[in-house]
Amino acid sequence: MNLVWKLLRQHISIPQFSGFFMANLVGMVIILLGVQFYADVQALYDSEDSFMKSDYLIVNKKIGAMTTITGKSNAFSQDEIEDIKKQNFVEKVGMFASSSFDVKASFDIQEFASFSTDMFFESVPDDFIDVMAENWHFVSGEKRIPIILPRNYLDLYNFGYAQSRSLPKLSEGILGAMKLRIAVSGNGKYDVYDGDIVGFSSRLNTILVPWEFMDWANKEYGKSTAVSPTRMIVEVNNPTDENIASYLQEHNYVTDQDKLDASKTSFVLRVIVGIVMSVGLVISILAFYILMLSVYLLVQKNTSKLENLLLVGYSPAKVSMPYQMLTVGLNVLVFLFAFAIVICVRNLYVGMFRSFFTDFNLPSMWATVVVGVLLLLLVSVSNVIAVRRKVMSIWKGKNL
Amino acid sequence: MEKIDLRNVLPDVFSQRTDLSSDIWMQDVSFEKGMTYLVEANSGTGKSSLCSYIFGYRNDYSGNILFDNTDISTVTVNRWVEIRKRSLSMLWQELRLFPELTAMENVDIKNKLTGFQKRKKIREWFEMLGISDKENVKIGRMSFGQQQRVALIRALCQPFDFILVDEPVSHLDETNSEIMGRILTEEARRQGAGVLVTSIGRRIEVNYDKIFRL
Repeated sequence: MNLVWKLLRQHISIPQFSGFFMANLVGMVIILLGVQFYADVQALYDSEDSFMKSDYLIVNKKIGAMTTITGKSNAFSQDEIEDIKKQNFVEKVGMFASSSFDVKASFDIQEFASFSTDMFFESVPDDFIDVMAENWHFVSGEKRIPIILPRNYLDLYNFGYAQSRSLPKLSEGILGAMKLRIAVSGNGKYDVYDGDIVGFSSRLNTILVPWEFMDWANKEYGKSTAVSPTRMIVEVNNPTDENIASYLQEHNYVTDQDKLDASKTSFVLRVIVGIVMSVGLVISILAFYILMLSVYLLVQKNTSKLENLLLVGYSPAKVSMPYQMLTVGLNVLVFLFAFAIVICVRNLYVGMFRSFFTDFNLPSMWATVVVGVLLLLLVSVSNVIAVRRKVMSIWKGKNL
Repeated sequence: MEKIDLRNVLPDVFSQRTDLSSDIWMQDVSFEKGMTYLVEANSGTGKSSLCSYIFGYRNDYSGNILFDNTDISTVTVNRWVEIRKRSLSMLWQELRLFPELTAMENVDIKNKLTGFQKRKKIREWFEMLGISDKENVKIGRMSFGQQQRVALIRALCQPFDFILVDEPVSHLDETNSEIMGRILTEEARRQGAGVLVTSIGRRIEVNYDKIFRL
């Protein structure tokens, strides 16, 4: 192989190949960084609300002074629900179900304090709850109820109550490990359950329990027939859609503007990352093109050598090998460099993330590795095939 | 490979000619292993074309060429590679050496592929042909006559049933031409191979079993 390489490396143009190397490196870094950045930012959103899908809104009717005075219901009628389901921006609609029984919760913080409060439960259909599905179940007869609490309840305690009373602060982890004592009563029945806090939501301002429990408990302890829903959860396909805001305004509905904004940000971010990655892809494709041109030029310049090697008895596979190794080697090098750069850049921005979001779980880099390896394979396989075809055309060239 | 047959072979460029009289073109000719043949020709009668056709390098001809009754137009790429490595050797008129490599490297590039000749034997041939001092000289710096001798050594660095030598001594003096003939016949006899020599005047002096006029 040595002598063959000595022959075939003639006419290798260092500037051309470094040009390819740089161009492909830029393209690859942009693509991989796009993938990684997206994964990291997504994780940022997820760590906020790991159990909720991102693009949803919570819609209710505006409560004005007149509502209170006239006692007019703020519940959604069946027609109104059907109407919103028909809108183009809507993917899925779920109704909040509220408890029609009495709930009392209490818990102790070691020997420091004990709390007891009247409260309520709400539920949304389970397909709006994303992760932790394995915990999100209630089996009738069991004494465990999974609960998702609003994060600002915890903030209220930590920064308000605990601060003023010199009580210990509670982290989400500690609270998750504690059990709430839940007393449920109604219909002449009284039962005590263990409330298991499986998560905190900063997007849902209510105390959530699984749909199964709500369904069952309303029948078991419920006072009367089902209550009309006053809030609904709506999954939208594009949160930046202007029709959403105008529809809500028209019908005198309200949604939490922050949530809408967060969804918008996430959506815009996705679009931007998509655009940036496309630019990277275009650069990579151009770089690939440069490489192919360089290799073709090289093969062209060394045609007589390649031909003589074939006539001496070297197989097309053996003759193709040096150039195939050259291109694959370059591709692997580009991949490794690109990956190293991505790791460095990531360390920079992750440091920034951490200063904003303390509770941030760094996701793994698998997605990036997979995308990188797939690109590497795709480019390398095309190179190998192209070189082989070029050599075969030399073989056949004289066999007119 | 025991036999090479030519059946009605005619280069495409001659297809319009009516005055063709040749022992090879448009004839049924057989070359057999173990025999030595000379094809004498005037310039432009297709001598090098003949070699290229048999070697599978060109196929701009009509008629059929058969190796042991197999038409070579049906031979696969892999089989050709094998044939060129194990059964058929060729000394090209234009030599097809690599000017960037030294004389020894030019021989090695073939011998490393086939692993056929011992280094000692190769050195001996360099010695016999009077180019032992050129082993490490780049081919580009050598005269055509010297290059012809290197090309012969390279052609012998493989097993073969037939060896085609296209005008091997055009640039050699009597003595070297005679030594070359001796090395060639000796190696061919050792392998029991057939030899096909072409010439347009000066010819390598060996005992020919049959002489064709192209």
